[in-house]
Amino acid sequence: MKKTLAVFAVLLSVVFIFGAITNPDTIVKATIGGPDTFDVHQAYDNASGEVLSNVYEPLFVFKGSSLSEFEPRLCTDIPTVANGGIKDGGKTYVFKIRKGVKFHEGGDLTPEDVEYTLERGIIASPTGGPMGMFTQYMFGNPDFKDLVAKYVGVAEYKEMFNDAAFQDLKPEYTEKLVKFYKEVVDPAVEVKGDEVYVHLQIPFGPFLTIIGGEAYWGSIIDKEWSISKGLWDGKAEGWWKYHDVQKEKSPIYNVCNGTGPFKMVEWNTTTKQVTLQRFDGYWRTPAKIKTVIIKGIDEWSTRKAMLEKGDADIITVDATYIDQIRNREKEGIKAIDNIPELGVRSISFCWSVDPKSKYIGSGKLDGEGVPPDFFSDENVRQAFSYSFDYASYIKDTVNGLGITIPTLIPQGMLGFNPNLPTYKLDVAKATQYFKRAFKGQLWLKGFKMQITYNTGNVVRQKALEQLRDNLLKINPKFKVEVVGIQWASLLDARKRSELPLFMMGWGADFPDPHNFVFTYYHSKGDQSSFYGENFINYATTPNPELDGLSLDQIVEKAGLETDTKTRVELYNKIQNFAINHALGMPVYQPIALKGMRTWIKGWYTNPQKGSDDYFYTLSKAE
Amino acid sequence: MTAYILRRLLVLPIMLLGVTIIVFSMMQILGPDKLLSAYVDPNKAEKLTIKELEMLKERYGLNDPLVIRYGKWIGNTLRGDLGWSQVGRAPVLDSIVSRFPYTIELAIYSVIPIIGIGIWLGVLAAVKHNSFIDQFVRIFAIVGWSFPDYVFALLIILIFYSWLGWFPPGILSVQMEQVVNSAGYNQFTKLLTLDGLLNGRLDVFWDALRHIIGPILTLSYIQWAYLLRITRSSMLEVLRKDYVRTARAKGLDEKVVINKHAKRNALIPVVTVAGQLLIGLLMGVIIVEAVFNRPGLGSFVAQSASQLDYASVMGALLFSAAIMIVGNLIIDISYAFIDPRIRLE
Repeated sequence: MKKTLAVFAVLLSVVFIFGAITNPDTIVKATIGGPDTFDVHQAYDNASGEVLSNVYEPLFVFKGSSLSEFEPRLCTDIPTVANGGIKDGGKTYVFKIRKGVKFHEGGDLTPEDVEYTLERGIIASPTGGPMGMFTQYMFGNPDFKDLVAKYVGVAEYKEMFNDAAFQDLKPEYTEKLVKFYKEVVDPAVEVKGDEVYVHLQIPFGPFLTIIGGEAYWGSIIDKEWSISKGLWDGKAEGWWKYHDVQKEKSPIYNVCNGTGPFKMVEWNTTTKQVTLQRFDGYWRTPAKIKTVIIKGIDEWSTRKAMLEKGDADIITVDATYIDQIRNREKEGIKAIDNIPELGVRSISFCWSVDPKSKYIGSGKLDGEGVPPDFFSDENVRQAFSYSFDYASYIKDTVNGLGITIPTLIPQGMLGFNPNLPTYKLDVAKATQYFKRAFKGQLWLKGFKMQITYNTGNVVRQKALEQLRDNLLKINPKFKVEVVGIQWASLLDARKRSELPLFMMGWGADFPDPHNFVFTYYHSKGDQSSFYGENFINYATTPNPELDGLSLDQIVEKAGLETDTKTRVELYNKIQNFAINHALGMPVYQPIALKGMRTWIKGWYTNPQKGSDDYFYTLSKAE
Repeated sequence: MTAYILRRLLVLPIMLLGVTIIVFSMMQILGPDKLLSAYVDPNKAEKLTIKELEMLKERYGLNDPLVIRYGKWIGNTLRGDLGWSQVGRAPVLDSIVSRFPYTIELAIYSVIPIIGIGIWLGVLAAVKHNSFIDQFVRIFAIVGWSFPDYVFALLIILIFYSWLGWFPPGILSVQMEQVVNSAGYNQFTKLLTLDGLLNGRLDVFWDALRHIIGPILTLSYIQWAYLLRITRSSMLEVLRKDYVRTARAKGLDEKVVINKHAKRNALIPVVTVAGQLLIGLLMGVIIVEAVFNRPGLGSFVAQSASQLDYASVMGALLFSAAIMIVGNLIIDISYAFIDPRIRLE
């Protein structure tokens, strides 16, 4: 009997322990996957960015959840035209660098560190990395290799090298490359006293959101420490040896030395764990939490169990499982399911498909294929836009974790207008437009084509299958086959204008509508440049609906406009135009999710962060 | 015996080579597009230009002919360079070596109850043939054998972690991780429990043990079922042999008959099964490692395969094949010692 009582007492104690704050000065975040690299100019993923934005600091950040207000970090003032920080019609930005800031390894922050950081980032410019945003506006070319090749006068960057790793430069190009640094890169960033001057070739209002805000690629590194680790030595001679180095070969691949509130003390790639320790020499008041542990735990049940026991304070939640942690505040658990991601998912049309494409059947309007210019007909685009059930897709396929968007500017972004009309499934209107298309021939003869998604992406597959089924219901002669292909092949086929219709996503590189409007509606956009020749003609032709400007011109004008009110008006005009002419099908804006213990205090997020956390403001209390 | 061992050891590299050729060819059939996904996050890839994609394929040698790629891989392997693991975020060899201690620790701790209790239950069921105990053990075996390991692992987590809070997932608690990573703590063997004892830190030892009990329970239950069935049927067969009847007829004590005459002979086939079980555990247990968040070889191989990280898959495969071949050699040799009737020559 005594034994039974003892066992009962132990069990009771376990129950009572449940609920008490676990590890009060440590925050454990259980997430999926892990960081890719800690090289601030190579990292271009959320897991790496989360660590970097807690360990390093940019010149300034967004103020709280705002995407339009900034607060200084390593500079003392946010540059504006009024305070003289933005000069030469928006081509020069001046940053006064803060004094008394220490790096974790003991170095003092100087304006030279800022100059070195920016120049090193430009020189490093890794393939597929974030630095193209800088080179685009600082030098007018997002492709650094292309920029150098054009300066030197060769067709391709690789022509100058004897090896594929671009290390062994042919001697005849040495002088030209040294000159390139001295004439192009070096003058772009200058130090004058306590100030750093950044010169742009193209004036660009949102430049501040590229260099600061939530941009971890804007993190400032210590020049002396970096050189001692083997990063670019700061010299013009031999800079190319430091360009586009393989990720894992970067000397700061797995080490950090920032000025931020936490030091990175361990990245254990075996246990998939990153440990951050409070930096007591931080220039602001040190963080309340002493240790942050970010664990990669791929198994959902384990993450959930850890949250329930309090061994994890914050966890990543997949949309499928969010219901398992909803409405459990009494148990000390809360679900955060209202963080709009700055991204969109959309279906795009190719206006001029390659006639040889295997995805358009016969390539003719004979019921066995579609003509290459199928989507150049506005009636077809309108009909397709009315053939998709956006609401049920968001409710059923993405578990309600998506926002309906009228155009491809996501919610939270300047210019987003919830009052704009949105397309809905409307069989009558779709039928009406299909009957008008190709002078009625499309309705009579029907069509056949293949539409594609990247294999493994079930959410996209389901969207296209819904579209296929709806089209078949509208007219049994509308035969669409949904085909999954590997993403690399899909990108390749899209580039060659072989895909008549494709579904893709876009996440904000920087939180400005230009990043979306240019991408989707300008003839040279990352997505719209694949719409084909007919779209290019359409986008470059002046249009009375756009005050006599072409679509390209008004998109460019809105990007350069510095007056917010005027910008919003211009974006409204562009969006109305996009809706009226069905330039694409904005399917939804995703919502980021996470689970958290209610004892976490001081949490906030910024839409640009997605599911990343800033641990400086956090503490644990009942 | 020596000649036999030498022959087996000489065949070892040829077998390893054969295995690598087969697996390398199978992975390369997927083509450069698919293999590139090991190097670039698909979400990020959507923003890459075709020029950049081609550059990446060139950089990682994915456009090279199959023979050249295999030649490069085998050449580097012979120099001790197994390549870079995209999954492990470290050289492949380092990724394997850093994970192996977690696998060894789990295998060693698991194999003791698996073999000890498995054989005991098997013998018990055979000796008490058709009794209540036999029926109970058989049901126990059937349930264990038909239970999916991930379901059982989740049940263990639910009962012993979520409800009772006894056996958490992972390898150490936050506090003990700090102790282990502190300057004065030596990681002699990289086995967490043993290092705890060697450092005189019973708290670390106990904490590491708490974290490993859940996976041991899961593995044990699944494997007991298998082992006890083999032991039971082998024991039943031996118990019907003439020499056992003779031993009983001589008036020997039943314990002596069972332990000395029957069990020793019945365990010969069990050695093979137990050896295979240990080899299997040393090669990593994917589901248990994933559910209990243990960074062993199994979860590494599974992730590498799902991400098509062929450098990691090839490296881990080479390592596993070596364990398998050497393990089987040891089993074969141990036969000769257990049963002198067996001559390996």
